[in-house]
Amino acid sequence: METVNALELRGIRKTFGSVVALDGVDLDLQAGEVHALVGENGAGKSTLASIAFGTLKADSGTVRAAGTVGLVHQHFELVGRLRVWQNVVLGREPKAGWSIDARTARAQVLELAQKNALDVDPDAFVDELPVGAQQRVELLRELYRDPVVLLLDEPTAALAPAEIGRFFETVRALAARGTAVMVVTHKLQEVMEYSQRVSVLRRGRMVAQYRTSETNVAEIAHAMVGGEPAAVASRQAVPLRPCLRVLDLTAVSASSGVERMSLHVDGGEIVGIAGVEGNGQTALADALAGLVPFRGSIEMNGTAGIIPQDRRAEGLVLDWSLAQNVVLGRQRRVRRGIVVDRARARADAQTIVERFDVRAPSLDAPVRALSGGNQQKLLAGRALIDRPAFVLAYQPTRGIDVGAAALVQSRLIEARNAGAAVLLISFDLDEILAIADRVLVMYRGRIAGEFASASADRAAIGRLMAGAAA
Amino acid sequence: MKRAAALAGGPAGAILLAFVLAAIAMLVAGVSPADGFSALFLGSLGGRNQIAETLVQTTALLFPALGVALAFRAGLFNIGAEGQLMIGGLAAGAVGAQLDAPGAVAAVAILAAGFAGGAAWGALAGWLRARFSASEIISTLMLNFIALSLASYLVSGPLKASEASGAQTAPLPAASWLPALIPGTRLSIAFLIALATAGVLAWLLARTVFGYELRACGAAPEAARRSGIDMARMTLLALGLSGGIAGLGGATIVEGVLHRFNTQLSPGYGYTAIAVALVGDLHPLWICLAAFGFGILESGGLAMQALADVPKDAIHVIEGLIVLVLAARRYVATRAQTVPL
Repeated sequence: METVNALELRGIRKTFGSVVALDGVDLDLQAGEVHALVGENGAGKSTLASIAFGTLKADSGTVRAAGTVGLVHQHFELVGRLRVWQNVVLGREPKAGWSIDARTARAQVLELAQKNALDVDPDAFVDELPVGAQQRVELLRELYRDPVVLLLDEPTAALAPAEIGRFFETVRALAARGTAVMVVTHKLQEVMEYSQRVSVLRRGRMVAQYRTSETNVAEIAHAMVGGEPAAVASRQAVPLRPCLRVLDLTAVSASSGVERMSLHVDGGEIVGIAGVEGNGQTALADALAGLVPFRGSIEMNGTAGIIPQDRRAEGLVLDWSLAQNVVLGRQRRVRRGIVVDRARARADAQTIVERFDVRAPSLDAPVRALSGGNQQKLLAGRALIDRPAFVLAYQPTRGIDVGAAALVQSRLIEARNAGAAVLLISFDLDEILAIADRVLVMYRGRIAGEFASASADRAAIGRLMAGAAA
Repeated sequence: MKRAAALAGGPAGAILLAFVLAAIAMLVAGVSPADGFSALFLGSLGGRNQIAETLVQTTALLFPALGVALAFRAGLFNIGAEGQLMIGGLAAGAVGAQLDAPGAVAAVAILAAGFAGGAAWGALAGWLRARFSASEIISTLMLNFIALSLASYLVSGPLKASEASGAQTAPLPAASWLPALIPGTRLSIAFLIALATAGVLAWLLARTVFGYELRACGAAPEAARRSGIDMARMTLLALGLSGGIAGLGGATIVEGVLHRFNTQLSPGYGYTAIAVALVGDLHPLWICLAAFGFGILESGGLAMQALADVPKDAIHVIEGLIVLVLAARRYVATRAQTVPL
């Protein structure tokens, strides 16, 4: 079969200071293929995508593209206060004289959305849309530029299982029309299902390339980590003790709410909240954290440790060092009189760095310099270091690699084994089924069903997540 | 060390560049830059009296600059130091003229009144922000005009000294004046109080739990809110304290220089203080240096006008250039930053 290279990267090398992010990387993308780029955090995937797109310049090597390159970022870059169609045409607005031809623009966006089966209201304000819909807007914005190559950075990190399937149908249809698509991801199951070829980066080098049909998850994972991936700790039988009791909770946050919701989490168990994003998970988390007003009652025995959903905006001060960040949220505890206890802060940071395998140049390095996985491990470490009776983990492994995710999950299980009550809110059903003892399915602000995860029926949970009656 | 290097590349370089630009402006205007600058430095550092006057200006700028920096570090753009300084001076003048107490007690009480006045004025903007989400940028600026009008009214009416010819309060009893630091000059121990304030503020910001929380609010507001910090309370405290420090400055001018209150208290110290705070990188100890630099400009300006025939306003051009160059550098640095995805 004749193949055309839509994008050719040759001998790409990129350094940040003394860190070699990419070293002699070659990669071809063929027109019409879905190509997966996998690797652990810090392997250089995002850097490579940025170089292919043009936001970063390689130190050496060549980039050749047969036309426009589009990039959908993992962290969306949309203007929240503009409408969907305005975001899509931004920078390439059709003009009518001096002003934007809104009618034409809107029609173009609508047509583009229909052609690609991307269901989104062109007149909605972006900041009022759930994450899944915002992602469709990002995709539309790139498609509006009619790219020959489309790069997708962790596109499914925030999507529900049903949305993921739909998303990849769209991607496949695009490829079938001749676009070269590269998906940067950690999720190997998706790689197997949706890609034709896989490239594996490890520590800045391209270590393997496969035809997807000729490989398997184990082989790819092996190439990614250069050995066997870490196993998740096992759950031990521990006696349950009452810890968190929520009765008739009603609250609203981030445009979704919970209504008269009741649940309990005992010490010694992990309760997983399964559900599609935007069904009230944020309202539940914020009410438990005391950040929004609520009706009903929340009873908690002991202290809480919280891993917030968005590590960069909600969890960390990116310009501060590890040692400083470890104090945040604990500043009333890590002190001597009115002064911050800096010796203890450093000791705590050191403990977390060791126990959570946080890879950082030093305790004084700004957290911004850490990869997402290492930031997340730091955040998890901070939430757990004071041995809280209750742990709220909201998307604790979002967008991080398998090794880091396994570590965070193991530490949550160890906290549970030590008697902590753990509430895990995740949009990744696999994660919930892997580590939770009980699964609660959340739909439109209510608990739609409960399962013991050992005997849980994936399909039944999936149906409840989609709104089918129990 | 790193910080010093950054400063050399930042503020120090900016100041140098601003002087170069000012020199070019002088050339264009037909004045020898050598004459202009030698007049500037002779007038500000050329003798005991000149140095004392430079330190008077340094002191007057340092208090409001420290206040501005504190608010900025909390993520609050307090551009109302001028009004807070004015109200602080007004409170000090009003209390000082009427207080009947032993000298030292009175001196301290007058400073406290100044702090309280400025703090109330700052906290008012903080309350508007916390209660009604009113932008402190607008409210602090507007409160400057209200402060000036209020002070003008009070000193020409209710607080006017009966024997005074102009609009001013009655003089403070000499016993409550701040002692002179260099006899025969206008320099009082207010200068030492300002330095001490800078030291305390540096410690407060860098070491205390309160300072930690305040900086968290400025560096990452959402993360700060989730760490259990009461944002409304912090807004009120930060703007209150910020205004209080500016108000303390107003009180030291009343108590150490004018010995009474009138609205000539400040030729715009509160506005120049914003530039001082930024040039000092919002760090109290660097701000001391920056205030000294601006003090040289303020006190040398008159000499420059008299000796080299350069209008005093040229000083404001230099000050403006420094801020402009700094802002431009920061803009370029932000744009050049390449952040991997």
